Amino acid sequence: MDILSKGIINISYALDESEKYNNTKKFFYNLLENDSYRLKKYFDGFMITLIFLSVYILIRDVKHDINEFWIGFNNIVISIIFLIEYSLRFWVSSSISKVVIHQNEHNLMLNRKFSIKKLFIHVAKDKLKYVLSIKAIIDLLAIIPFFHQLRLLRVLILFRVFKLFRYAKSFQTFVSVLATKKFEFITLLMFASIIIFVSSVLVYVMEANNPSSPINTLFDAFYWSIVTISTVGYGDVTAVTNEGRIVALLVITSGIAVLAFSTSLVVSAFSEKLDEMKEMKSIDNVSKYKSFYLICGYEGIASEVAKILRSNNFDILVMDEDEGRIKNAIKDGFEALNFDPGEVESYKKLNIDISKQVRAVLALRQSDVENVYTTLTVRSMHQDVYILSLLMDEMHRNKLSIAGANEIIYSKDLVGMIAKEFVGQPVAFEVIHALRSEYSGVDMEEILVTNRISSYIKQVNQLENEKYRVVLLGIWKKEEDKFLFNPPKDTSIDLGDYLVVIGNSLFIREFKRAVQKKIFR
Amino acid sequence: MKQIIDRKATALLFGYNEYSLEIKKSIAFKYDDIELFSLDDNPESNKFDLSDDWNELEERFDMDNSIAFCVLKDDAKNIFLTLSLRSSFKNLKIIAFCKNKEGATKLTLAGADKVIPLVQTTAAMISDMLRKPIVTKVMHGILYEKSDLKIAQICVEKDADFIGKHPFDVNWGEEYGIIVLSIMQDDVDSSFIYSSKAKHKEIKTGDILIVVGYDKDIIEFESLIGSRCEVNWSDWSR
Repeated sequence: MDILSKGIINISYALDESEKYNNTKKFFYNLLENDSYRLKKYFDGFMITLIFLSVYILIRDVKHDINEFWIGFNNIVISIIFLIEYSLRFWVSSSISKVVIHQNEHNLMLNRKFSIKKLFIHVAKDKLKYVLSIKAIIDLLAIIPFFHQLRLLRVLILFRVFKLFRYAKSFQTFVSVLATKKFEFITLLMFASIIIFVSSVLVYVMEANNPSSPINTLFDAFYWSIVTISTVGYGDVTAVTNEGRIVALLVITSGIAVLAFSTSLVVSAFSEKLDEMKEMKSIDNVSKYKSFYLICGYEGIASEVAKILRSNNFDILVMDEDEGRIKNAIKDGFEALNFDPGEVESYKKLNIDISKQVRAVLALRQSDVENVYTTLTVRSMHQDVYILSLLMDEMHRNKLSIAGANEIIYSKDLVGMIAKEFVGQPVAFEVIHALRSEYSGVDMEEILVTNRISSYIKQVNQLENEKYRVVLLGIWKKEEDKFLFNPPKDTSIDLGDYLVVIGNSLFIREFKRAVQKKIFR
Repeated sequence: MKQIIDRKATALLFGYNEYSLEIKKSIAFKYDDIELFSLDDNPESNKFDLSDDWNELEERFDMDNSIAFCVLKDDAKNIFLTLSLRSSFKNLKIIAFCKNKEGATKLTLAGADKVIPLVQTTAAMISDMLRKPIVTKVMHGILYEKSDLKIAQICVEKDADFIGKHPFDVNWGEEYGIIVLSIMQDDVDSSFIYSSKAKHKEIKTGDILIVVGYDKDIIEFESLIGSRCEVNWSDWSR
């Protein structure tokens, strides 16, 4: 192996292993291409501003004297920024080091020599694919005004407007929707082209030798055909001979057909894609949630849980394989996706970090088979996510437990417990029921002892809860995993503990704020 | 101290299904006599129909001291049953189960003392577990598990220090080791002492305090001020 090949291979391995290089590349990739990356929207906003600024300067320059600074800014600064963006996109579009490593390992396995020529062809193919993409061509055209001495090229500033396609997702959706009808559009284009060609030639033949006819050249005939078939009909160029008018009649009739066909194509493309577009919108919305509950299934209990959680300002995503139930969820105002919660593919499509963004997965179908399947699917992908599942038949409890559910809710158990408490501890039941309901005005809340709280409040006597007319029912001690009821004044308050308080809802809110902000100190 | 657990009353369970069987199991500790009724022929239950003829029932059971659970799977039939029972037995305690809130409203109108809408109750329980896991755990412990913490109702009978004071002004936790949740007075509706309407209530003899605390502390408190007593729990949360 020659020195050059060795050098390329060594550099490639070094780059591939370099955390700094990979992180930098990943950062720029996210910034430029990853829609769910939080900084991308700021970057896109910045680029859109530059585009509009650039076009504004161009328009203003037509009839006004513009400060040289702005001309320079438009031609040089903005162009350089676009050039940097183009280069970065070129860089992140593919990885040369990965190609080198792949080729080297392939060669080692087959005992072949490393070929720089092959590498060059491979890399060039990858990069050319990017360079020749429509978006990249528009990017390149947007940089051209940099050569400001060619004044004509300044009009190319308008190409910068096309760059908006990159930053505005709805444009991309529009193009992708129309792309689904590519074949129909090509057919339509062919049909229209033939009509235009035939009618242009015909009308030219009929009219060109007539001195009173405005159609003297083939270009006139072509112009007339386009104006007529599009049903615009300026009337500046019209056929005067009877033969020419017959051609006109045919073109006008065909024009109506072309228009009707193209309109129906666009409409059908959008109606066919509507559900998919809504789905994409939901996925996009959900990816913006910092944390949300994923509810699998939307039947009786599930819809109630979703409504309660929403009323407490939690974000919800409903997932169900049944279209009817998803329609109900959407009607109720939830983000809902017609995906099967039992399929790994559904979670992959979501474009979220489940372990970070999902507070809990709630398997609430009224079918143990479905809930076990969902639980197993989620658990197979994420070990830590909290899963709560509904159980319909006691004999399946074990299966649900093995599948990995953290909490199992069995409604028949609940009926038994309720009946038992009604006859055994009626008052306890009623009091707790009233405490739970939000109508009594009195609430029970748990307050997590955060770093901030624990750094200022060390003991129960420092809480000053009496001042806020809030009763401390007890403390859940994290370390001992135990509830201390009515703790003595000198009980320590540690990080991660929970304070369980009772009181008027408003007073609790004030107390909570005070403890967290420490305003009473 | 009065006997809270009364084993003489009869429990009547209407409906033969997994719910009624679960209820039967759960209340066996209190009722010696639990009777199951079914609309269909079933060797393990009594047959009944939804006509208004309850004479046989009246002859067999002390209906004024009994409790009825209406657990028919069909909400409409359950409502009809409740209405029928209430029109015949004014003092019968009726607890009815239904699927959702709509059924619950109708059952309340039909005269049930307590209505449990299963879907809403389960959903509320799930959301509580998610929103307030610690509070739910503590409450669950008090209600359903063998926890040292108990809720009890104690009648103020003796001349205690706190008589004439507002309930919130007494340091119950420090002085008695218990926490008072609510006060029930003859002339006013029961309410939590922390609610705004309870702010002006003064404690007087005959009031009933709903307290939470460890068993031994409740017993000590009870011996200090009066006795544990039964209250009409259906006054609550109606």
